[in-house]
Amino acid sequence: MRFIIQRDRLVQSVQDVMKAVTSRTTIPILTGIKMVVTEDGVTLTGSDSDISIESFIPKEEAGDELVEIKQTGSIVLQAKFFSEIVKKLPTDTVEIDVQNHFQTVIRSGKSEFNLNGLDAEEYPHLPQIEEQNAFKIRTDLLKVLIRQTVFAVSTSETRPVLTGVNWKVENGELICIATDSHRLALRKAKVDIENDVNYNVVIPGKSLNELSKILDDTNDLVDIVITENQVLFKAKHLLFFSRLLEGNYPDTTRLIPSESKTEITVNTKEFLQSIDRASLLAREGRNNVVKFSTIEEKVIEVSSNTPEIGKVVEELQAQAITGEELKISFSAKYVMDALKALEGQEIKISFTGAMRPFIIQPLNDDSILQLILPVRTY
Amino acid sequence: MREMYPKNGRVILHVDMNSFYASVEMAYDQSLKGKPLAIAGNVEERRGIIVTCSYEARRVGVRTTMPLWEARKLCPELIVMKPNFERYRSASVAIFDLLRQFSDLVEPVSIDEGYVDITESYEFGSPLEIAKTIQARMLEQFDLPCSIGIAPNKFLAKTASDMKKPLGITVLRKRDIKQVLWPMNVGEMHGVGQKTAEKFNTIGIHTIGDLAKGNEIQLKALLGINGVRLKERANGIDHREVDPNSVSDFKSVGNSTTLPKDVTNVRELNEVLEKLAEKVSARLKAKQVLATGLSVTIRYKDRKTFTRSKKLNNPVDKQDEISQLAKVLFHSNWNGNAIRLLGITGTDLIHVNEAVKQLDLFSYERDAKKEPLLNAVSKLKEKYGTAIINRAGMARKKKQTPSIGTDTSFNKDFLHEVRDRKEE
Repeated sequence: MRFIIQRDRLVQSVQDVMKAVTSRTTIPILTGIKMVVTEDGVTLTGSDSDISIESFIPKEEAGDELVEIKQTGSIVLQAKFFSEIVKKLPTDTVEIDVQNHFQTVIRSGKSEFNLNGLDAEEYPHLPQIEEQNAFKIRTDLLKVLIRQTVFAVSTSETRPVLTGVNWKVENGELICIATDSHRLALRKAKVDIENDVNYNVVIPGKSLNELSKILDDTNDLVDIVITENQVLFKAKHLLFFSRLLEGNYPDTTRLIPSESKTEITVNTKEFLQSIDRASLLAREGRNNVVKFSTIEEKVIEVSSNTPEIGKVVEELQAQAITGEELKISFSAKYVMDALKALEGQEIKISFTGAMRPFIIQPLNDDSILQLILPVRTY
Repeated sequence: MREMYPKNGRVILHVDMNSFYASVEMAYDQSLKGKPLAIAGNVEERRGIIVTCSYEARRVGVRTTMPLWEARKLCPELIVMKPNFERYRSASVAIFDLLRQFSDLVEPVSIDEGYVDITESYEFGSPLEIAKTIQARMLEQFDLPCSIGIAPNKFLAKTASDMKKPLGITVLRKRDIKQVLWPMNVGEMHGVGQKTAEKFNTIGIHTIGDLAKGNEIQLKALLGINGVRLKERANGIDHREVDPNSVSDFKSVGNSTTLPKDVTNVRELNEVLEKLAEKVSARLKAKQVLATGLSVTIRYKDRKTFTRSKKLNNPVDKQDEISQLAKVLFHSNWNGNAIRLLGITGTDLIHVNEAVKQLDLFSYERDAKKEPLLNAVSKLKEKYGTAIINRAGMARKKKQTPSIGTDTSFNKDFLHEVRDRKEE
């Protein structure tokens, strides 16, 4: 195997597949990156057996020659060293030449590395996925969907299924739900789907985070293929495979209140800043808790009290308050996370009582919902 | 009398009751006087150890924490009694009431010792006269001996009261430190245990004088900030104030029990944990606090002891919650060997007013059900003040049963009673 490649393209692809490579793996060869050279171009693969990423560099793109292929073949190189080497090579092109016994020479300008490689035949095969039931979504929308939900997944392994995001496809609509049982994020979006197929799967939060980092903000379509235990995201020159989480995701629809007793409309930014200020003192305390109460027509009081440090009280003008009076305490962090995930200048907060979940939504937009459980005081 | 008091600085007494439990028993039963008497937990079981003993018993070598069988070998005529906590408690209440006649600044440290700041008490006489009066009245009124240290701060007062026992009064001034304190072994210093003393020895510190002249950087590396603090103490510097409310600054509530025999049976161990959880829960509720951390202590047959702790997402005070968390913690750390002692401690306590619980999407209904009740309660409190109503479990009992608490060591919960009495 021998080829000459544009260095920046190689660096980009190596960085992408590196997202799946971990040094902590029970399968030693997975600490490496697999490279396969065909007449069409170079394919790089990284995997930790939960996530696998394949990045393709075509021989030619838009009339430019990216790879000059001298001889096809394949090799696995230690990811840690290979990624550092290509990043620091001196010139714009790199020559990679596999010799006897998987000895690999990497040349760039006057620099020459000799790296011990491994037999690519030993590298595990990626999941085989039949691509019949794909649905499509715009890349930038997909990134938004991920950003607005994945922060709410659980970081605790006590209920493993909650470390993932529940993806449901029903009637041409994708519904993403994440909850750590203290807050819940839900986002819906229309998707292009041909057959009337329904899905209900759980994708690890970590996979979605990595996927989001690799995808560019374009409006190209991403193909999504879901099988029994894998999901595949296909973008241009990129395949992203992730294992799905086993176990049933709890049915959260019945947990989301459908009616409310108090409704408040406020400016998103003002509310966020107010909670942020109140939490300055709460953050020092154990619980990061702020109090929220309606005090008069269209006025909200946000306060926090940590006896050892001090207290803060501030008033916030609401656009509208309807329904019952309310006093409630909640985690400032959860509310700020939720507000940061929302789009829109104004939000509506719907409460059903001080000990029940409340919902934050952009005004006049049902496609997204952030639900938060309050804290109870004793 | 003002001239007997320092112009700047304070006068602190440390009052330490001499072999308190034994003395109380002797006051109750005069026939015990002059005899070797020991108070021991669980006389009939093997875990019986000496909690305290009279000076007559000490003379032949009986010591606190000595196993009963060993003490009996040293002193065959030893009279052994079970602790009688109600008696000690009422005696202790009376003692602190007496101390409070001389100053408001009385800080109980345990059931039988406390600090009194008498800086402003010149109307009662010179510091030495006050100490003499206290000691005499303790004997007269309660038939109880005590030793008193007089010094400009807590550390020196405590050190001084330790110097002459029983019935001593010792004045320790800063200028005496060099002659009195510095020649002593560092291990005898208040606040330095055996382990710390060994550590000091590794850097060539053997006497309190060595510590006073110790290198601060070296001390900090060895013991952290505590090393620097101990050096200050060795130089007679101690800025801690006598704080009458300090009893409330407890940081943990724990119960442990030595099992009657070594146990490997899971079911039995779970039962022990449940019982411990019940005690811890009762004590937390009595103090109106919740634990935001939990630790479990396991001592194996070979006496190797492990403590494993966990931070909790939500504070706990209920038995079922504590026992469940303790079991999880225990079973993920138990190596399966026979166990001699188990303990549960609630740590990082917060007052019930500061405690909050993050509700859970899948279980909030349980809490929400109580909402109408809680609303009614908070309306009542708003209208009539916070004392109007409380959970039944929080009702402070005037008389606590001795079974709540540790069975042998002094029970600090009781000191709350002392304080509460004062507030009432």
